[in-house]
Amino acid sequence: MSTASQATVDRRRSTSEIERSTPAWRRRLTSDRAARVAALLSFLLVWVLLSLLFRRVPGPVEVVQRLGEEFARGEVFGNFGSTLYRFGIGVALATVVGIAIGVLMGLSSLSRAFFESPVLVALSIPAIIWAFLTVMWFGFGDLSPIVTTFLTSVPFVVVNVAQGVRGVSRDLRDMSSTYHVPVSRQVRDLVLPAVAGYIAAGVRFAIIIGWNGVLLAEWFGGGGGVGYRARWWYDANRFGGFAAWVVLFVGFIVLLDRFVLDRAIRRAFRWRDS
Amino acid sequence: MAVLTVKNLAKTFNLGTPRASRVLDDITFEVRGQTFVSIVGPSGCGKSTLLNIISGVEEHTSGEISLTSDEGRPARMGYVFQDPRLLPWRSVLRNMMYVQDDQGEATVARARRYLDMVGLAKNADFYPGQLSGGMQQRVGIARAFAVEPDLLLMDEPFSHLDAITARGLRAQLQDIWAQSKKTVVFVTHDVVEAVELSDRIIVLQPGGRIYEDIGIDLPRPRRQTDPTVATLQAEVLARLEAMKELGRTTEPVA
Ligand SMILES: Nc1ncnc2c1ncn2[C@@H]1O[C@H](COP(=O)(O)OP(=O)(O)O)[C@@H](O)[C@H]1O
Ligand SMILES: [Mg+2]
Repeated sequence: MSTASQATVDRRRSTSEIERSTPAWRRRLTSDRAARVAALLSFLLVWVLLSLLFRRVPGPVEVVQRLGEEFARGEVFGNFGSTLYRFGIGVALATVVGIAIGVLMGLSSLSRAFFESPVLVALSIPAIIWAFLTVMWFGFGDLSPIVTTFLTSVPFVVVNVAQGVRGVSRDLRDMSSTYHVPVSRQVRDLVLPAVAGYIAAGVRFAIIIGWNGVLLAEWFGGGGGVGYRARWWYDANRFGGFAAWVVLFVGFIVLLDRFVLDRAIRRAFRWRDS
Repeated sequence: MAVLTVKNLAKTFNLGTPRASRVLDDITFEVRGQTFVSIVGPSGCGKSTLLNIISGVEEHTSGEISLTSDEGRPARMGYVFQDPRLLPWRSVLRNMMYVQDDQGEATVARARRYLDMVGLAKNADFYPGQLSGGMQQRVGIARAFAVEPDLLLMDEPFSHLDAITARGLRAQLQDIWAQSKKTVVFVTHDVVEAVELSDRIIVLQPGGRIYEDIGIDLPRPRRQTDPTVATLQAEVLARLEAMKELGRTTEPVA
């Protein structure tokens, strides 16, 4: 056999060489952005198909039409505004209170023992229960959607923040105490920046869970808002109008997450990229 | 002037459990004034534990420990750790300010002065992640000096660095110490380093007792290339070799 004298050359291609040999259209088709666009398109496609198959599923075109009509009636800004106001206050409260309790739970085992069970119970109560209860307690008005938003979202902030605080570097905390850094400064400059990622995750959860709360409370309450208006169409057996409001609000949450939260988080972590 | 007094100090971890281990058995020494004291001993003999007890991070099991300053205020301590321990989201200068009581202009100016002494004046606004390991350690040293401590504790600050960087930093430390004349307790497992830096070397033996207390009377600044330094280094090393042969069970000689 002559194979003994043959050398095997395993020549590996460099990244620039691979890039040069891949056509541009193929690179574009396999990009992350293409995947995102594909997801959006398939969602629309499924929606259109469902609306063609089932009479009671309104298609995208109809939903946009209904939305246009609501705008023309002048229903959108007032209702959307009051929902945003309630939602904003509820989430803001949940963020502040959640961070405070979470930091306490992370730093002291005594407060962890105290808050652990209540938080667990609160986590497992669905938004619809809070919506019923608050409408019973506070009636129709701003208070029940605000409290529902707050109560459904606060445990998620607490759990995330507490977990983050417990993960703060022991070494850095020892360093702080050898230098007698005041506790308030330790919380502000060591603990909070260290848990910024957990806070961001908690607030994101709060927003996504909280909007269930606000819509449900408005659905059962009667004080106007996106949930109220969606129910109005639902009761009228007009699913196009119902879907229009849901799409409006979900779209808003997605855009908020993408363009505000995501950017704010990236700004907060500048030090990581430098 | 600061006085550190340690008397019959003992430390047992996990006291009252089956895992109890006595790390420090009976430690007595005193450090006063502008001296550079090294605590030397093999890995695991309790050097870091002793330093953490002095700094207050760790509690002692029995014995006495006190630090007094005659400035009419509680004594201040600085600590240089084995690793830099900087907040990654704060710039170098803001890391130094983090440990300062006073946040005023004068304190900022002082922090900048020490940063200049360790050769990092230009890096005040850098994040720790933008510095090399040696530079980060220099920030840790500047931070400790900048609190103007009555007692400066250092725990093997150069052991994670490469030999060339470590040698440069030792020379720099000698310079800064000569200018500021603090009371320093410096922990190391490296006898050669201890002889180069210290006025006095306390040798810890496994089992947590003091084996020997050696005065180092050499002129400063000390150079590695100086034969008298090298001779003394060899001599102290030989004495420690003798300790190793005594083993764990032997009574202390000193
Ligand atoms: N928190 C702790 N719990 C139990 N044992 C410990 C603890 N910290 C240190 N030790 C033990 O004490 C001994 C001395 O540790 P250390 O002071 O770090 O030694 P050195 O700094 O001299 O290398 C080691 O055997 C170590 O395992
Ligand atoms: Mg150690």
